[in-house]
Amino acid sequence: MTAGADVLAATDPRPPIDLSSGKYLKLWQGPQHPGITGNMSIELTVCGDEVVEGKTHVGYLHRGFEKLMERRTFIQVFPIVCRVCVPEPDFNEYCYAAAIEELAGIEVPERARWIRTLILEMGRINSYLMYLGGQAGAFGLGVIGQWTTHVRDLMLDRFEEMTGARIYHMFILPGGVRDGLPDGFDRRMAETLREIERTMADVENVMFHNAVFKKRTRGVGVIPVDLVDTYGITGPNARAAGLPNDVRKDHPYLVYPELRFEPVIGHESDMYARADVRRRDLLVSIDLIRQILARMPRSGPTMSRLPNVLHWKIPRGETYVRGECSRGEYGYYVVTDGSGYPRRINVRGPSYTHAMALLEHLIPGTNISDVAALMVSLHTYPPEIER
Amino acid sequence: MPEGRGHTRLKSLTNLRDVLSVATEFERTARDFYRDLAPKVTKNIRYLVEELAAEEQQHLDLFSGLAERADVEAVLQTEIERPIDDQKFFDFAHLPDLGERPDDQAVLQYALAREHAAMVQYEALAEATPPGTLRDTFRFLANEETKHKNELEVIYDRIVHSGGV
Amino acid sequence: MRDVLSPFLAWKNLFREPVSIADPLNREAAPRYRGFHKNDVSKCIGCGTCETICQNGAIDMVPVAGFEPKDGDSGLRPRIDYGRCCWCALCVDVCTTGSLTMSNAYKWIDADPDAFRFVPGVDAKSWDEAEDGYRRADGHHLTIRERVPMQELAPEVRVGGFDEIVAGYDVALAKLEADRCVSCGLCIAACPTHMSIPQYIEAVRDGDYRRGVRLLYETNPFSNTCGRVCTHVCETACALRNEGDPIAIRWLKRHIMDQVSQDEVREIIGAPAPATGRKIAIVGAGPAGLTAAFDLAKAGHAVTVFEAAEKPGGMLRYGIPEYRLPYDMLDRDIDAITSLGVEIRSDCRVGRDVAMAELHEGHDAVVLAIGLHVGRSLRMPGSEHPQVRKAVDLLRSIGEGMSFDVPRTAVVIGGGNVAMDIARSLARLQKLTHGEVKVTVTTRKEPGHIVADPEEVRECGEEGVVIAYARGPQRLVIEEDGRLTGLLTWRIVPKIDDKGRSATICDEGDAVVHPADMVVEATGQAADVGLLGEALTEELAWNRDRLAVDADGRTSLPWLWAVGDCINGPDVVHAVADGHRTAAAIERAFAETSIERTRPDARR
Repeated sequence: MTAGADVLAATDPRPPIDLSSGKYLKLWQGPQHPGITGNMSIELTVCGDEVVEGKTHVGYLHRGFEKLMERRTFIQVFPIVCRVCVPEPDFNEYCYAAAIEELAGIEVPERARWIRTLILEMGRINSYLMYLGGQAGAFGLGVIGQWTTHVRDLMLDRFEEMTGARIYHMFILPGGVRDGLPDGFDRRMAETLREIERTMADVENVMFHNAVFKKRTRGVGVIPVDLVDTYGITGPNARAAGLPNDVRKDHPYLVYPELRFEPVIGHESDMYARADVRRRDLLVSIDLIRQILARMPRSGPTMSRLPNVLHWKIPRGETYVRGECSRGEYGYYVVTDGSGYPRRINVRGPSYTHAMALLEHLIPGTNISDVAALMVSLHTYPPEIER
Repeated sequence: MPEGRGHTRLKSLTNLRDVLSVATEFERTARDFYRDLAPKVTKNIRYLVEELAAEEQQHLDLFSGLAERADVEAVLQTEIERPIDDQKFFDFAHLPDLGERPDDQAVLQYALAREHAAMVQYEALAEATPPGTLRDTFRFLANEETKHKNELEVIYDRIVHSGGV
Repeated sequence: MRDVLSPFLAWKNLFREPVSIADPLNREAAPRYRGFHKNDVSKCIGCGTCETICQNGAIDMVPVAGFEPKDGDSGLRPRIDYGRCCWCALCVDVCTTGSLTMSNAYKWIDADPDAFRFVPGVDAKSWDEAEDGYRRADGHHLTIRERVPMQELAPEVRVGGFDEIVAGYDVALAKLEADRCVSCGLCIAACPTHMSIPQYIEAVRDGDYRRGVRLLYETNPFSNTCGRVCTHVCETACALRNEGDPIAIRWLKRHIMDQVSQDEVREIIGAPAPATGRKIAIVGAGPAGLTAAFDLAKAGHAVTVFEAAEKPGGMLRYGIPEYRLPYDMLDRDIDAITSLGVEIRSDCRVGRDVAMAELHEGHDAVVLAIGLHVGRSLRMPGSEHPQVRKAVDLLRSIGEGMSFDVPRTAVVIGGGNVAMDIARSLARLQKLTHGEVKVTVTTRKEPGHIVADPEEVRECGEEGVVIAYARGPQRLVIEEDGRLTGLLTWRIVPKIDDKGRSATICDEGDAVVHPADMVVEATGQAADVGLLGEALTEELAWNRDRLAVDADGRTSLPWLWAVGDCINGPDVVHAVADGHRTAAAIERAFAETSIERTRPDARR
């Protein structure tokens, strides 16, 4: 063993793994596997049906976005950022736009800020719906996924009619948003929200008041609260440990200061608590959307005047813009150097910390049948890990 | 073409072919005038004089050709059904003296004045003649001169008024 | 217990309608859906801005049968590669004419992958007539449509003198205006001398004025002049004109020259090439002649310009009033040219002080750039009256600084820019001398059809000049005591003649006398070709009343060339382009023959 491994072994209380002893089996889970929320692998070392060690392997979804962005002008970066995170793309659009606006000194019109908030909450709901389907599905409770995929599709219809696309909306750009709400949107959104609420009532009954689900998730995958800061844990993963960490409250942005809501908190910090926090957070988002639609301005510009985007140069500067996405803190670190191209953009996705170091920490001791569910319960989206 | 001489000659005619024959001769005289003028003007306006001669030749051919047609009366009647408006421009109300070395404007003014005078003359003859083939003939000739004058005005306009652009 | 029974509530869905869509293949997308592209190819001008903004190189501008390039239209049309397109619709947002849009169609099945690279609007598609699809939201467009306003002197101020009306942009305003350019290059093709316009606009954005001057001098040594008085065909071709204001290219050109000192300009132009031994004579120190002089001197040839007037400049000095082109700015342009060693002999009239034969003897080439300096007259009876003048002559007097009795009341006959120039100049002189403007312009055209530039007509009116439309001059009103007191005009009634040409008729029933102490004729101009002499006139070939020249400006005699207004009609930038073209042709001719063959006196 190497010197470093000696040190680690000295501090790790667990017995060392002797692969030649025949007691252990190496299993490769991934990149296509149960619990998949994106392509990622876990190299499992199993003893019987207990996992003694897991090593995460990422990179399957490295598309080189950050380099691509350096080779595109600021307006040309806008259409590609949404593709960084596939299931919840809008945060990329918002963080990028906000960072550029800050560095270029552009103020966004009031109406655009409301629409941006609306979009982000719609995206949050969709992301949670997908999560619920995955979480239940990891235990074989497939019906939840059928239900949530359906109502998610209704929300995608709302996205389609507002932004012109279902998944990659390309609607939030530096300066504001591309358009206002189409006629009749409020009515159709109200219907969609009611559908979602009905489905959530069923989900609550069938998934959360479910003895089997509780047995599988209570006390499993517990995140000790002292790990939250060390491992950079954010979002429901942290809130289920009792900490009221929510970027919408801690570093407010867009119109959140004007909306009424409280961070949703759990205490047991196990898989069940995390799932329940997300369920309740989804309901909060529904309420937020209702508040937004009731109060947002219906007239006025949706875009600020931009300089000519074909040769737009932004002065030297750097900034980090963050937001609370469904998985935690999402952020864009942008550096400009006075030219027409971004010097460096680094995308901080919450899954970077949750899916690799944290997962490796939590895996030892889990039953092999719980690995998939554990991964889902951290709500990891591999696309944002390696971009 | 001094108005007086031609007028007297034409007035005395009673036969349309005779009228056409005299008109043809007037055109021939005009054509010859321009042909003689061509070498006397500078080369940069010679094209104009040559064009004017060619136009008079066309008129000459037209009138002499008409005289030979059997249906000349019918043709004349059709032509005069569409009287041509006289544009009544100012520039050529008088006949300029061409002088030794006329420039393009002078030549054109001269040409225009000739056409104008011819037009006026034929009109007057038409008025003075009772309805019939003869009157139709004079009408027709008046029309032709008017047409010709209008054509020349376009050329005049281009050369004098537009800087030749 | 609840947790055991509660899940069974799911069974209620047994009695629910399935939510699957019966026919998913024909679901219509939302009205705003970003689907397949449509292009209105008759509206499209092929500016290529869609190609520039596309983040993945999905658009290429390609030639299309049936679309010829012309001013303001490259003749190219966008071809989109759906293997690269991400349907972001930035191309639609930035389109300068609004021709490029999207349908909401999203299904296209084809066995041939190359089919997915197509020219919308040219390659017919099933969605070409689709009504729905992505459109720019109201007010959402990525081009900047309004021009930065140019400050000008107010009418009451400017009519009191000959100060330059246009203030020019300062650096901040110029940068804002320069930012609007989409660098499509349609202007380059339209410009008679093909200036590198998007490049010098970029120099303004970058604040690199030396680069700007260098770019200007590549094609136009009269940029101080053209930056003020050019007829700006570029602005007429500008892509942004389709949905907003064209870029203020003329003002930006002026702005560049305004930022750089004359010393720097000379330095940037640099020194001429080593002397070649060739000599060229140019007759006329106007823009055509001096541009040719600039090019030829730069190439190392010895150039002498013979100018009949007291100072060089031609119509720029003696035709265009100072409030449009200040003399000192014109002098700068000329100074840059003489700094190359061009000799200008002023007060030297070819035909009087030196003969054409002499020029031919002593030079390898002779260039006629004599302009259109003879004013035409209507020759109404009484035109010899001393108070009946020609605009060209009066403007020349003003340019020479010669004073004359300013009439209290004046009538200008004519509707072109020259009429505007003399009318507005007389208005200023009247204001200065008599305190009151009384100028009437009579034109044969109807309002809206007047030949002069709309800006001139508007500013004319603001300065108190009255324009009488549709009036045909008939007669001068001269009293028995010999005083000129007015001009009689008849109303002009427009009509179409039997060949479909627009003609006019005078209505003598509607006669007006316009009171005037002076009547100025601004009706037309001609070239003074008398300098050629009779023999040479006969020897040369003529194209109607103009010298016949080939595409390079060469006459029928190989040693004689002719450029500018006297050949192609009045326009400064065309004169500059002529000068370049002929200078280049002379250079080529020199390269093909020795000095002994081109210069008569070198043979002896």
